[in-house]
Amino acid sequence: MLALLLAAALFAATRPHYGGVLRVQLQDAIQGADPPQLGPGIPDLFAAFTITRWESGSRAAFSANPSAAGGRPFLDSIEIEMGRPTREMTIALDTGKADIIQLDPAAMRRPPAGVKIWSSSPVRLVALRFSGSEDARLREAVSLAVDRTAIQRVLLQGQGEVSGALLPQWLSGYAFLFPAAADVSKSRALAAALPASSRSLTLSFDSPALRPIADRIVLNARDAGIAFTIAPAGGTVRLVQTRMISSDPAKALAGVAISLGLQEPPRALTPEALYNAERNLLDGFRVIPLFHLPDVYAVSPRVKGGPGISPLGEWRFENLWLENPRP
Amino acid sequence: MTFRTRILLIFTLAVVASVGIVEWVGLDTTRESFERAETQRVNALVGQFQREFDRRRQGIVRAVNGIAGSDAMLNLALATDYAPNYDDARSLAAAHNLGLLELVAGDGSIISSAEWPARFGYKEDWLLTRENWRSLGAFLKREELPDGMTLALVSVATVNAGDRRLYIVGGQELDREFLSTLVLPVGMRALLYRNLGAGFSAPDLIDASGPARRPAMLQPLVESVVRDGKETAATVGGGADAEIFHAIPLTGYENNLLGVLLAGSSRRSLVELEASLRTTGIAVAAAGILTGLMLAWWATARITRPVRRLADSAGKVAAGNWNTTVEIASADEIGQLAQSFNRMTHELVEQRERLVQTERVAAWRELARRLAHELKNPLFPLQITVENMQRARDSYPEQFDEVFREGTHTLLAELQNLKQIIGRFSDFAKMPAPEMQAVDFNAMAADVMKLFEPQLAAAHIVGRTELDPNLPAVQADPDQMNRALRNLILNAIDAMPKGGALTVRTAALNPGVRIEIADTGEGLTPEECERLFTPYYTTKTHGTGLGLAIVQSVVADHHGKISVHSRPGQGATFRMELS
Repeated sequence: MLALLLAAALFAATRPHYGGVLRVQLQDAIQGADPPQLGPGIPDLFAAFTITRWESGSRAAFSANPSAAGGRPFLDSIEIEMGRPTREMTIALDTGKADIIQLDPAAMRRPPAGVKIWSSSPVRLVALRFSGSEDARLREAVSLAVDRTAIQRVLLQGQGEVSGALLPQWLSGYAFLFPAAADVSKSRALAAALPASSRSLTLSFDSPALRPIADRIVLNARDAGIAFTIAPAGGTVRLVQTRMISSDPAKALAGVAISLGLQEPPRALTPEALYNAERNLLDGFRVIPLFHLPDVYAVSPRVKGGPGISPLGEWRFENLWLENPRP
Repeated sequence: MTFRTRILLIFTLAVVASVGIVEWVGLDTTRESFERAETQRVNALVGQFQREFDRRRQGIVRAVNGIAGSDAMLNLALATDYAPNYDDARSLAAAHNLGLLELVAGDGSIISSAEWPARFGYKEDWLLTRENWRSLGAFLKREELPDGMTLALVSVATVNAGDRRLYIVGGQELDREFLSTLVLPVGMRALLYRNLGAGFSAPDLIDASGPARRPAMLQPLVESVVRDGKETAATVGGGADAEIFHAIPLTGYENNLLGVLLAGSSRRSLVELEASLRTTGIAVAAAGILTGLMLAWWATARITRPVRRLADSAGKVAAGNWNTTVEIASADEIGQLAQSFNRMTHELVEQRERLVQTERVAAWRELARRLAHELKNPLFPLQITVENMQRARDSYPEQFDEVFREGTHTLLAELQNLKQIIGRFSDFAKMPAPEMQAVDFNAMAADVMKLFEPQLAAAHIVGRTELDPNLPAVQADPDQMNRALRNLILNAIDAMPKGGALTVRTAALNPGVRIEIADTGEGLTPEECERLFTPYYTTKTHGTGLGLAIVQSVVADHHGKISVHSRPGQGATFRMELS
């Protein structure tokens, strides 16, 4: 009799059911008067949820859309907090105040205990963006000085991949053609040809999570004779992070180019054209791609029905349900 | 300078010298004692400072060894992938209160760095140069940090796991925070010179508050220690701001001098104490000198009082008061001297009285002789004349009338002569007191010379006057001075029987006047000059010898002086000085 009762309870717990509020915390602070409509992440929610609240860069709320095309999602609503530090998100996950938190790849070194990890394909590009007023040889010297492999192995804990291309290998298929290996000797030779006064640069970064990478870049550049100074903002060089907004390589390249402030490339219909378009974008080293990183989320065990993200990092929260819905 | 002043001066000098010597010796001895005590105190402070510094070294060694002894480090040594541990150093350093910590793989590559996390994978080849780091303890090392080179006190521990090795390099940056955490004795401060480059660099000399103030003052000491590598002590600054610095060389694992630790102890308290002592000493010395002077004043007064009485009495005796005596107040040498003085004055009085009596007798005798001599000359013609008149009446009555007429004429003339002689003696005897009034001696001299013009011409003498136009009028009796002047001129005329020149000169003195009567006669011998003013002394065949005596008497009554200057054959000059 007892066994039957336990089995019935277990069945009830693992069976999808409606209700509950999914609490999501993100590092990203999405800015804008209106919520984004394109790309993976929050825009993916509009298919099954209706936005009820939007506070640029800090908070958003969605409620289940009963007339969604695929039917009403299991969750009643989703509450999203943006711009949250990793440490606070981890605590929130531990204490049950959050169900899904966004992790930076370095956090994979010691992921929170007892949680599930959802990881996408490498969809985020980390790159150095120059203002353009520098000598191209200096930019090339920086590109050759950065030891991407060491950063990816240690600071990123092996997550993602080293890259010299804008589009990840899985998306374009030719990323390996763009060199990503460091060559300090050549970098030093290029820098030495420049006057000392022009070998000083300031480096800023978009997210505090990028600070360790920035510090390492400064150290690598110093080995090549290039003096970087870390600046909180407004540096002549910025360490930026952007993500692929489409699984279509041409659209993804265009999106990356636009987000990096480069000229939008012409629509490429063939892989060769796409390669040439990307090559043209990278000529002059105004942008130096460094890594492609996945979207990584730590998920509470009470979130069922996952994984809630696609390989491209799109949210598929309409299939999720909570083990013990909150009242 | 009086005798008392001289004694007082000697006493003062003696007191000042004595007090000064005692003061100097006392202060010098005290200062040396304080300096010794200060040196002992500073040495004790420096010892305490070095123990504190060693304690910090031991603390670093213990912390590093503690990390090395943990299971986590053993596991890390055995790990094949260090990437997950790249951030371990930071938490370990915080847990063990270390400012610097690096976990280094056996090949020298950094696994994790607390002070510079980005340096993972970089090589620390210096760790491979030595096997036994533990024996070194904590040592100094130049450490490169993101913001530049610095100096650190580090210790190295190794973890060996089979053929795997892990280095743990931990320590503290030697900066102002490190200095501020040193528990220093009161009155001491610590500075650190970080020998990071060639030559002295002022910004690398720091104390607990940052860059040291007035680094130039410490530069010679620092350079000396950097050059010689020996602990050195020196006093820096002056006055109350002076400090004794012990400069301790700090070496790295290769025995290269990387830093100089300066333990400074302020001399302010000592200087203030010495100043206080000096002030007190000076005050005591001044009080001693003042007391000594007061005692000297009293003692000199007591000592010199009888001497002063003696001097006063001697002065009175010199002024003619021979009856002066001195009170005998003691039986010492001064008392004996006073007694001798009294005896001397008593004898002087007696001798003077005897002399006066003798002189009086001699004067009377001289007067009698003179009177006899002066009166004898006229009396002889009187006797002859009377005898001639008697002889003519008895033997030649017819010629008696004529003889009587001539005889009475002679008798009258000689009687007149006798009358004059008696008159002169009478004048000398009855010299009146002078009646003072302002006298112009230039006018008087001119008048007298005019009066004598006929006589001078008859005697073939040229009369000259050399009168000072600025001659002041002086108080004198004009009649007596006129008479004195006439006597001197008559004397001069008598001294030039064969003619010559007579000059009357006047000159102003300050104060008073001088009148000189100079002749070009035969002159006088020194003996004659000495006796010239003695009454009844004369060098002439006629005269009473009272002329110059009268002149001297007149000048003396006017409180003046008269003198004669002469040599045989060169004339004589009589000089009167009146004030």
